[in-house]
Amino acid sequence: MSTAPHSSEATHSEHHHHVSSATFIWLIGTALFVLTAITVGVHFIHIPAPWNIIVAIGVAVVKAFLVVAFFMNLYWDSKFNSLLLVMSIVFLVLLFGITLLDTLFRADPIPAF
Amino acid sequence: MSSSDIAIDSGAHNSHVQHHFVNSEQQFESSKMGMWVFLVTEILFFGGLFLAYIVYRAWNPELYTAASEELNTIWGAVNTLVLIGSSLTVAMAIRSAQMNQQKGIVINLAITIALACVFMVIKYFEYAHKFHLGIFPGEYYTYTGIDHPKANIFFSIYYMMTGLHGIHVLIGIGLMIWLIVKARKGAFSSEYYTPVEITGLYWHLVDVIWIFLFPLLYLID
Repeated sequence: MSTAPHSSEATHSEHHHHVSSATFIWLIGTALFVLTAITVGVHFIHIPAPWNIIVAIGVAVVKAFLVVAFFMNLYWDSKFNSLLLVMSIVFLVLLFGITLLDTLFRADPIPAF
Repeated sequence: MSSSDIAIDSGAHNSHVQHHFVNSEQQFESSKMGMWVFLVTEILFFGGLFLAYIVYRAWNPELYTAASEELNTIWGAVNTLVLIGSSLTVAMAIRSAQMNQQKGIVINLAITIALACVFMVIKYFEYAHKFHLGIFPGEYYTYTGIDHPKANIFFSIYYMMTGLHGIHVLIGIGLMIWLIVKARKGAFSSEYYTPVEITGLYWHLVDVIWIFLFPLLYLID
């Protein structure tokens, strides 16, 4: 019986969930608020054609990274969960890429809707 | 009974640990991984709509910039801030559970639900305004304010993407009501808060999807 309390201690030492401080959560939240303000500000400046989309998507990617890494805790989590997310993005790129290889190069491109 | 049997059993003696898990930690990690697998299917689910957006935008670039003028950038930005705020409060609810702060879980989840409702109310007014103008999806489109023969394409995609996202917000509200009911009975503690954690993951993903919808739909004019 003497091993029982010992093993529960061993179980407890594996119990290392990351706990974010309130300050840190507010820091990430504030960064997301500021990035939203920046992307809306850039929108009203009206920068020329390809760059407005590049900036808007670039800011969105940074925001998504902050949420995924520090709100969804992937930064401290098992790397396998990060791998799942990365694989979903890989398959998304495959889906987009292979479909666009068709739709971008059609002889009669635009169907009726 | 050998001592090793007792050792394994003691780890599984917490009431929340189901018999097929070795201990609480393994159950927690398994639930979380299961949720991530579900989120992968959600990403690919929405990915189909993002693909429709990209394909039709490549075919009709001028339509997208013209039709996007009909969307109010300010209300879209306000809704972005509201959803980010709700992600923040969900993160705080999980922290409250980890710190054994029972009141904190309920208060933070209640604020999250309130913010989610603000999001849906703003969305309702945006939809109502478009319906008033005759901007309906597909063949029901009657608005004449956009000089393009296939202006309905943009709005069909807009309604599908924001509509599916809105359904996810409503499901999230339902899940968080369930969490509050459980939290008020004292179901969650630093030892067991798996439902709060994985509902949090779901809610953050709904936020991430909106983070991409907002610039793609509202910021392109």
